[in-house]
Amino acid sequence: MIRRPLLRRLARRPGALAALQLAPGTGWLLLFFLVPILIMLAYSVMPRGEYGGVTAGLTLEHYRRFFDPLYLRVVGRTFALAGACTVLSIVMGYPVAYVIARSRRWKHVLLFLVVLPFWTSFLVRTYAMIFLLRDGGLINTWLLHLGLIHRPLTMLYTPGAVLTGLVYGFLPFVILPVYASLARLDPALLEAAESLGARPWAAFRRVTLPLSLPGLIAGSLLVFIPALGSFLTPDLLGGARQLMLGNLIENQFTTARNWPFGAAASFILMAAVLVALLVYLRTQDRAPGEEPG
Amino acid sequence: MTLDRRELLRRAAALAAGPLAAGPLGAVLAGCAGDRRPATAGGLEPSLNVYNWSDYIAPDTVRDFERETGVRVTYDTYESNEELLAKLAAGASGYDVIVPTGYGIQALLAQGLLQPLDRTQLPNWGNVAPLFRDAPYDPGRRYSVPYQWGVTGIAWRRDKVSPPPTSWSVFLDPRHAGRMTMLDDGREVLGAMLRLRGHSYNTTDAAELAVARRDAVAAKANLKAYISAPVKGQLIVGDVWIAQLWSGDAEQARTEQPELGFAVPVEGSLIFGDAMAVPRGAPHPRAAHAFMNYVLRPDVGAAISLATGYGTPNQAAAARLPVPRPYPDAAELARLEYQRDLGAATAQWDRAWTEVKAA
Amino acid sequence: MARATPRPLMGITALVYLFLHVPALVLVAFSFNRSRFSVEWTGFTLEWYRRLAERGDILRALRASLIVGLSSTVISTVLGTLIALALARRRFHGRRLYEGALYLPIVTPEIVVGISLLVLFAAVGVPLGLATITIAHVAFSISFVVVVVLARLRGMDRSLEEAAMSLGADEWSAFRRVTLPQIWPAVVAGGLLAFTLSFDDFVITFFVSGVGSTTLPLLVYAMVRRSIEPTVNAVSTLILLVTTVTIFLTDRLGRARRGRTA
Repeated sequence: MIRRPLLRRLARRPGALAALQLAPGTGWLLLFFLVPILIMLAYSVMPRGEYGGVTAGLTLEHYRRFFDPLYLRVVGRTFALAGACTVLSIVMGYPVAYVIARSRRWKHVLLFLVVLPFWTSFLVRTYAMIFLLRDGGLINTWLLHLGLIHRPLTMLYTPGAVLTGLVYGFLPFVILPVYASLARLDPALLEAAESLGARPWAAFRRVTLPLSLPGLIAGSLLVFIPALGSFLTPDLLGGARQLMLGNLIENQFTTARNWPFGAAASFILMAAVLVALLVYLRTQDRAPGEEPG
Repeated sequence: MTLDRRELLRRAAALAAGPLAAGPLGAVLAGCAGDRRPATAGGLEPSLNVYNWSDYIAPDTVRDFERETGVRVTYDTYESNEELLAKLAAGASGYDVIVPTGYGIQALLAQGLLQPLDRTQLPNWGNVAPLFRDAPYDPGRRYSVPYQWGVTGIAWRRDKVSPPPTSWSVFLDPRHAGRMTMLDDGREVLGAMLRLRGHSYNTTDAAELAVARRDAVAAKANLKAYISAPVKGQLIVGDVWIAQLWSGDAEQARTEQPELGFAVPVEGSLIFGDAMAVPRGAPHPRAAHAFMNYVLRPDVGAAISLATGYGTPNQAAAARLPVPRPYPDAAELARLEYQRDLGAATAQWDRAWTEVKAA
Repeated sequence: MARATPRPLMGITALVYLFLHVPALVLVAFSFNRSRFSVEWTGFTLEWYRRLAERGDILRALRASLIVGLSSTVISTVLGTLIALALARRRFHGRRLYEGALYLPIVTPEIVVGISLLVLFAAVGVPLGLATITIAHVAFSISFVVVVVLARLRGMDRSLEEAAMSLGADEWSAFRRVTLPQIWPAVVAGGLLAFTLSFDDFVITFFVSGVGSTTLPLLVYAMVRRSIEPTVNAVSTLILLVTTVTIFLTDRLGRARRGRTA
């Protein structure tokens, strides 16, 4: 075959083979991921076209607009909801990860049952929430039947609904990294603590928790970052009343026809995401007490 | 074939005049996606792409058109003018027939995104009522064919709410808090509050807007949510009792839930007309005209009006409706306004609406 | 470890699992409910599924989703595997930086990715449709495939490859007969994940779809916003079914892979 001599030649120049392997995928990502984002960056500093799009020129007004209390409030609410979602997810998810790490017989099933929602359509799961929380939905109907309430509870279209939807959507994102971290924990350390007289809670606080910190941080970021950019959840569960950054951005590209401002908002969001990502990468570099590899 | 060449030239010309230099790339991709089937017997292109509001046509219209002409129709829907405008702003959208509201047509014309229509391909034009043969946003109707008209008003559940709401102020009344919705549309919500104070839906006065904004925020506390046409489902099941809604959607809901009432508030509200138009660079203009002409047939127009619940600008179709849906008389028209595109003032309104939503 | 897991922890875990799964199960259950508008159970029926089969728009959307899903899966799996091979086997300048940069598509909010692609296509004048959706899906799937295949490549035992080469096989044969079979489950797993991501995607698809390119999630979104009737539950159940089967297969492949490392 003609391929062999060619490959042999390439094999002697490792750089060339690597380049060939990297080229198509990298090219695709450059063209369809990086370039669009760069175009957006350019748009964010150009004046707004009257009907959408941009006109020629250079301006920082769109970024400056963000310091308006109105938009700061939206950013604030977004961070608050994402933060609350992260905290709740940790509180609910850590015990689950711990139990999975310690179980023997059921480990695989338990993991599968966490992985499944992780990959299931976000839209469908959000609809499931709507179905439950509606005034005429399942929860209200049962509560009314049981006589516990006389008027349906308003659960849908509240900040609580958005928060519940966010946690429901992102909880699995915490469980998996924390589990991975706990699973790599050397049991010998805990046995040592025990034999030195530490009680369960102390052993947890001083040995397990610090050692699972990298996984915990990774999980928190895996929840916080997408929650920040959330668009569907506040849209469907918030009744268009709770404006988050994702909705604001979408709004600028449709109703408001202000593409540059939307682009600027996107970059502010990206900035927050990149900071979080950098924090994550730095903590992953210093991970003590783990078994190597 | 001469038809193909003319088509290709027209397409190329449209793309060359289009946004940026890389038009050829778009042409290549459009060509790749193009039809390889022959034209129909009537000399029409073999396919057609229609982009219309959701729930805005009779169930059989498209299918019957396909059967009669042999043209294969791709029918997509949108939920708001803004969604339509955003998709069109992305250059060659590939749609042949779109159905924007009047102010949307204004915006599209200002950007030069529509192509003039060929009346010779619309023999049924005579069916359009004289009142609709002209429009302030499209003088002489060179670019559009009227489709449906409607008004915004308040829909309410007669069995849950009494007395019937007659004023926009009902949304400021906490009595039915948590059971009311307004449209997810800044022009409609702020407009209603402006109307409440006797101002215009098309104002650009900052002071008037500020007051409307305050009122809207006050009303928000009583609202369950901002929902547009989809609120129909919740009105039917009774999750929502009072909703700011468009006349046709209210009528559609009423067919499933007889306990629904609808009225235009005393202060007045919006009247709107949607019209069919053909974007510049549309790949199948002849089929587009054939479709619009088909819609102008009395039987087809009547079917559409019955299914959508809206009024028809087609006098021949209107005559066939079992229950007449008369156009508002002079007295009613006095308190109804047409929405205008606000151009540069859009930013002002947008900010006010964002404030309301973020509150 | 000798100590049993404390009861309260088990309790919390059980509750969390219920929270994660009950809503979806309820959704599925009510897709078989006879009543159209209320959540009272009035009887079992397959009516809503029958209606699904009659609805041309759902079938068209399913077709669109499958076309996009399969094409984007094939492309992203090939491109991603190539990148993973280069990252695992070759040394080159800036490799760590490149690997870190690959995480960007994963963490960038979907709305930013979707809108930036819309802006790109608008600026260049490319008509939106199935092609643009496929392009977008490949763009965000590549990184996921790389992560999966790379993990396998790095955890793999290289001695077999080295043995083959020392016995006279060249790079290509060694790859084809030794490496590829070993990483094959990971490649397929990566592909299945890419398919799931594509099949379920809403936000990005929302911005780059055009004529006749309504995918299933886009249709479901419109249906969800319009009404709360069991047909929506039926469509959702089908989507859940596809995802569950896909993830189950991925899981199986993972187990098979782990069993065959020796």
